[in-house]
Amino acid sequence: MLKTNSNVAIDKNVIQEASKPEPAKTKQFVDNEYCEVKVENLNFFYGSVQALFNVSVKVQEKGVAALIGPSGCGKSTFLRVLNRMNDLIPGTRLEGKVSIHGENIYAPNTDVVNLRKKVGMVFQHPNPFPKSIFDNIAYGPRIDGLKDKAVLSEIVETSLKGAALWDEVKDRLNEPALALSGGQQQRLCIARALAVKPRILLMDEPTSAIDPIATQRIEDLIRDLCTDYTIIIVTHNMQQAARISDYTGFFLQGEMIEWGKTSGLFTNPEDQRTEDYITGRFG
Amino acid sequence: MKTGVLDRGIVFEKKKSEWRSHELIGFWALRLTLVLVLFILGIIVFDIVSKGAGVINWEFLTQPPRVGMTEGGIFPAIVGTFYVTLITIAFAVPLGVGAAIYLNEYAVQGKFTRLVRMSVRNLAGVPSIVFGLFGMAVFVKIFGFGPSLIAAGFTLGLLTLPVTVTASEEALRTVPRAYREGSFALGATRWQVVRTVVLPRAIPGILTGTILGLARAAGETAPILATGAAFFLPHLPDSIRSQFMALPYHLFIMSTQHHAISQVRPIAYGTALVLLALVCLLNLAAVLLRKRYRDRVAKGL
Amino acid sequence: MASITEKAMRAIFIFCGLAIILFLVGILYILLSNSMPGLIELGLGPFFAVDRWNPGAYGEPTYSLLNMIYGTLMVTLGALIFAVPVGVAAAAYLAEIASPWEREFFKPIVEILAGVPSVVLVFFGLVVLAPLIARAFNLNSGLNAFNGALLVGIMALPTIITLAEDAITAVPKEYRHASLALGGTRWQTIWKITIPAAFSGITASAMLGMGRAIGETMTVLMVTGNMVARPESFLDSVRTLSAGIAIDIGDVVFNSIHFHALFVAGLLLFLITFAVNLLADILIQRKPEVSK
Repeated sequence: MLKTNSNVAIDKNVIQEASKPEPAKTKQFVDNEYCEVKVENLNFFYGSVQALFNVSVKVQEKGVAALIGPSGCGKSTFLRVLNRMNDLIPGTRLEGKVSIHGENIYAPNTDVVNLRKKVGMVFQHPNPFPKSIFDNIAYGPRIDGLKDKAVLSEIVETSLKGAALWDEVKDRLNEPALALSGGQQQRLCIARALAVKPRILLMDEPTSAIDPIATQRIEDLIRDLCTDYTIIIVTHNMQQAARISDYTGFFLQGEMIEWGKTSGLFTNPEDQRTEDYITGRFG
Repeated sequence: MKTGVLDRGIVFEKKKSEWRSHELIGFWALRLTLVLVLFILGIIVFDIVSKGAGVINWEFLTQPPRVGMTEGGIFPAIVGTFYVTLITIAFAVPLGVGAAIYLNEYAVQGKFTRLVRMSVRNLAGVPSIVFGLFGMAVFVKIFGFGPSLIAAGFTLGLLTLPVTVTASEEALRTVPRAYREGSFALGATRWQVVRTVVLPRAIPGILTGTILGLARAAGETAPILATGAAFFLPHLPDSIRSQFMALPYHLFIMSTQHHAISQVRPIAYGTALVLLALVCLLNLAAVLLRKRYRDRVAKGL
Repeated sequence: MASITEKAMRAIFIFCGLAIILFLVGILYILLSNSMPGLIELGLGPFFAVDRWNPGAYGEPTYSLLNMIYGTLMVTLGALIFAVPVGVAAAAYLAEIASPWEREFFKPIVEILAGVPSVVLVFFGLVVLAPLIARAFNLNSGLNAFNGALLVGIMALPTIITLAEDAITAVPKEYRHASLALGGTRWQTIWKITIPAAFSGITASAMLGMGRAIGETMTVLMVTGNMVARPESFLDSVRTLSAGIAIDIGDVVFNSIHFHALFVAGLLLFLITFAVNLLADILIQRKPEVSK
């Protein structure tokens, strides 16, 4: 169980701290005591293959953090460490410490189910369930035991509004979600994640399977959402990272080469490899 | 034949017609094997339908046999087959679907799952008469059910189990991984994932496979020989401990064991037709279900 | 609360998986434990002696399974001689040559044939085939190994066709394309490339068909005549292991030597089919030799 209540007090402090203006050109986060996501010396293995090497990073509350890097560099693996989706793959192993909201999520007594409710995820390919639009959004609250139709309707409406989809689908909530276009499906998946009221949203290349116009809408949505949620997004599209993120991390062969403010990382990268990548010399 | 490069075109034409005819003969030879299969099936169905149809009427379907089984109908056999199939379902479906869920949703793939899958395949290969021996020793004697609906139903259930497991596993495997991931990412527990996302999607497939398995069980004779099927019973079974008459066993009796075999031949034909029709209906139901399911998947519901 | 449900469901599903293994082991155990008293009483010898199966004989009952083993072999081999070539040819046609509509037409027919209850098929063999065979070979009765083999072959056909077709379809397209691109005809490609590549799968299909043939009970019970004499030819009446059990199972005295002898026959049948299926299993697991 995440002890949400006891952390409410700290929460407010952090929000205040986070809203202080950051000194310009910091390559590293300010090392304050509390972070939304704090990863220390993370090593991750698929069987005997090591996928992540000694990754340490701190992500502040709210805002968008982007993870970039060539494919196979470990950025998706890293993302899935944060809601323990990697648990579903047999033979994976992890070393190091990952804390979210001040709690070690790999502690033995962690309730993975609760963790995933606090850390929502949106996948590369939109994956609505083969149910109606309404049932898709209501899925999370329902498995939580919520049955009251009126409350569910309210949650569905708020979530769909939150994902900027309400106006498009409000008249056909009972139609199959798979009848929506790809971009709408992806926003539906975002709405579905919002319906369980997460603190953090993980997005794994959410626009890579979607056309440019729909991508634009989702990027706008991400900017809107980041005032309320901490969003960590994996993308292989550097322009996208530059457009929407506040912080960017660059992964290469399982290592996090560089992490910093997006503006800084793209204009004045510290590491030669980062520069090579963003200037298009490889990848 | 050996010609220069420039003459290739002509050689090509000649050769073509040559291998063309060879190939055509070969293809037709192969096609004939399928025509043979069609012919076999056709002649069987034709024989049974043409000679059995005349026997079947309302009385035949709703009356018990009379006068030493030389007259009357086959109602008790129909009812018995229906009852025993119900028990078969009750035994095989929960166990089979449960095992498939274990294999596909819960288990870490490794030695143990390989062992289970190997057992399923080998169980499928066990001769039906051996199931009969097992049923007689275990359900009839050790469990003390005696020859009864429940002993025969369990025996047939065991026989159907591999079909149920295999079909269920196949159905579960067609559920896209993305659905499971989506559900897990929303904080669903494993059972919630299975119950709310995987099973609803897999159930038509599971049903289809199960019906096919049942069609097979309903037509089996060897396993019920010593576990509960009766030659003749004056009344319908009144509990799961009763013996019963069954269509396949009745057909066996009427065609080989009866004291006046040639006299009761029409009844045998009628029984064969009813059994054939029943099995075909079950198969048809499975096919239609599969089709509807595919349409539904195509529509995305 | 949720976690209790979760644990309970997990336990239930594990139990179901475990039950499958238990059933298989249980069948073996029951066969062994019930044949043991017979084997201890008589030893292994009498079961394979050159003798007859005559457990009901007054005074000196005999329990030789030898003639039934012959019978089983004859029916099985006869069935395979018919079913394997026809089945593989049909599978090759379905997988490689048939146009879509032909597949749509023939595949359900194979499925329906698979669905015909064996007792119905055999009834047909009994009333239609047997008189024909009797007339053709000038015999008193058409109830013999030939009739049994033919029907068991028909019964094994759908298994062989379906599995062999799967095996042929599983051969990578690249093989075919390579052969065709080198100027091979489709006919050559099928026989020189596709079928050899699918060989282990096709063999497995034949093995599984064989497994069905060995265990098939009602067919042989009803149309092979069930004489326990030693068969000389395919036109002789034979009794197979499965039919032998089926004939006696109804009125055997519980826990008599006869009862245990039936389990010896069952055990033998089980072990043979188990070995055949295991072999087929190994062959199926061996995918066509494809480079990774």
